[in-house]
Amino acid sequence: MTLPANDNRAERARSLPRPAATIGLLAPALAVVGVLFGGGLALGLVQSLGYLPAAGMSALSADHFARVLADPDFFKSLAFTFYLALASTLVALAVGVAAALALNRLAGRSRAIQFIFQIPLTVPHLVIAIAVAFLLAPSGLLARGLQGLGLLPSGVAFPLLVNDPWGVGIMAAYVWKEVPFIALMVLAVLQSSGAELLEVGRTLKADRWQRFRYITLPIIFPSLGAAGLIVFAYTFGAFEIPYLLGQTYPMMLPVWAYKAYSDVDLLARPEGIAAGLVIAGVVTAAVALAQGLTQAARRRGAVL
Amino acid sequence: MLSQRGMRRLRLFGMLILLLSSPPAVAATMAWPDIEARAKGQTVDWFMWGGFPATNAYVNGYVAPRVKELYGIALRQVPVKDISEIVGKLLAEKQAGKTAGGEVDLMWINGENFRTAKRHGLLYGPFAEHLPHQKLVDWSKPSVRNDFGEPVEGLESPWGSAQVVMIYDSERTPEPPKTLGALIDWARRNPGRFTYPAPPDFTGSAFVRHVFYHAAGDVAVWQGPLDEKRFEAAAGATFRLLKDLAPFLWRQGRTYPENPVRLGQLLADGEVDFAISYHPAEASKMILDGLYPESVRTFVFEEGTIANTHFVAVPFNAAAKEGAMVVANFLISPEAQLKKADASVWGDFPAIDIGRLEPAWQAKFAALPRGAATLPNDVLQRRQLPEPPSEILVRLEKGWDEHVLKGRP
Repeated sequence: MTLPANDNRAERARSLPRPAATIGLLAPALAVVGVLFGGGLALGLVQSLGYLPAAGMSALSADHFARVLADPDFFKSLAFTFYLALASTLVALAVGVAAALALNRLAGRSRAIQFIFQIPLTVPHLVIAIAVAFLLAPSGLLARGLQGLGLLPSGVAFPLLVNDPWGVGIMAAYVWKEVPFIALMVLAVLQSSGAELLEVGRTLKADRWQRFRYITLPIIFPSLGAAGLIVFAYTFGAFEIPYLLGQTYPMMLPVWAYKAYSDVDLLARPEGIAAGLVIAGVVTAAVALAQGLTQAARRRGAVL
Repeated sequence: MLSQRGMRRLRLFGMLILLLSSPPAVAATMAWPDIEARAKGQTVDWFMWGGFPATNAYVNGYVAPRVKELYGIALRQVPVKDISEIVGKLLAEKQAGKTAGGEVDLMWINGENFRTAKRHGLLYGPFAEHLPHQKLVDWSKPSVRNDFGEPVEGLESPWGSAQVVMIYDSERTPEPPKTLGALIDWARRNPGRFTYPAPPDFTGSAFVRHVFYHAAGDVAVWQGPLDEKRFEAAAGATFRLLKDLAPFLWRQGRTYPENPVRLGQLLADGEVDFAISYHPAEASKMILDGLYPESVRTFVFEEGTIANTHFVAVPFNAAAKEGAMVVANFLISPEAQLKKADASVWGDFPAIDIGRLEPAWQAKFAALPRGAATLPNDVLQRRQLPEPPSEILVRLEKGWDEHVLKGRP
């Protein structure tokens, strides 16, 4: 007896808008994304291939990409960018989850705590970068405070945390900025589910770690993964924090792209755009890879 | 044999040809009173970089009402992010054959953009020598005659000037070095106490040009055509000197401040002992704003520091050329220059030679409140070096990146 089921499906299809209508309804949003985002990418691609008539360049070639990729510093920069984006994301995820768990317990008692926690979300990255510089520089607030307490002989003795070779300052700024974002994404999930399951876990004598590993983590994983990907993509491509808190050299890729793009030599512009497209490519690849891995793990039945 | 009528027609035709082939609006060949008469009632659109509030306030709050009052000219400031956008626009208009009625009447310009505009024939003129107040300008000064090495040739009229000064705290460093060579020795003796902004930052790049002049041992020679061999040798010496100096810089030269603002902050925080500025009055303003201690002072090297002049120019297709010239003339009037030099208004340095003014005006300039850290005009003007041509500037920036920053041979 397949007829009723078919009827049912037809019924449901009728209640949904037809595909044409769906596209019509989505058109404004699609147009914005398509024209502004897609158009920008397409224009960037054309320019990175050397089409810049204003500067007398109109022949298409892959030379600019070749020149970017052949630069001995490019892979150094790429590796440095990858390291910093990944490290910032992982640290922010760990701290964010811990914060969400704590908030979940506390927020029931105090809404104020949750509100205070949201404040950094409204502060621009640029401001955070400057705050970190003021705080962590050898002449910053922290160093002066320690000096004042007599714990530090002079500013020179303070460890180098800003414009440092390991990007500690950059990482600190990103973690500070992204922890509330991750925590709130996770908290939303925690608050809407999980309480009963945790009860069950407790009755089954699961210890705290087991309850976290087998109940909480699987519940929050999808939103954790999404938040992590957003943070990774952002830190990989954002410019202001590494520009202010990074070393002059080696630099993160977004700073590289900016420097090439703003070069007085118009010929360097396509290279800047090419570097920007490489960033976009790496981020896209990272997102695809992460999705692929997650799905593969699910198919194998792994508890995530 | 042409008839009488035919002759007349031919002559008329000839005159017409002559009229058409001469540049549109031959303002430059007119007497100044005629130019002022034609300027009356014109609207002048002045395209300029709009990123500095003091400049905007000076133009809109002082220049515009004054030229309305004196000459009946409506002056409108059109702020832009970078005047290179306008140069690009003029180039496109020239290619499209729009030779009259352009919307840009006056622009604030210098350096690279002037060179581009001049080489592509985008400028009206020469007009500068027709301005009555031009007699107040010392055209024999290399930094006025040449704009970043490009001969001005009357295609722009000066508006103001800037000069590199070194900033220091007289309490911490009572005896600052007197020459660039002495500064480099000082930096070697005091590791970690000196640095400069990383080129291509404007100020950092200017510092590297001082080192270039020092290493080359000559300044004037670079104003002429570029001698490739000589340049290679001097540039090589510059990069070697800076590379050898790097380990003695702040943070062992592994990183550099990204701009003069950051460098100023390092000076204020006591991390380094010198800052660099392309604005002779900036340190005084910083003291007034409470960002530098009262004991901060400035100095220039005995061999001089690089100075440049900023100018205004009239595009080839400007609609109100006469109005633009009258405004350009007003800008170098003693009155306008005095107002501009007032530190509470803008504090920009005069483009005119104060010594050429009548004693009463000289006294007014001398009476201007000078910040504690600002050097006297005569000290600054005696020690000015010209900017090298922009080609040298670009090659030094690239070379610094390659050899000094990245340490490649």
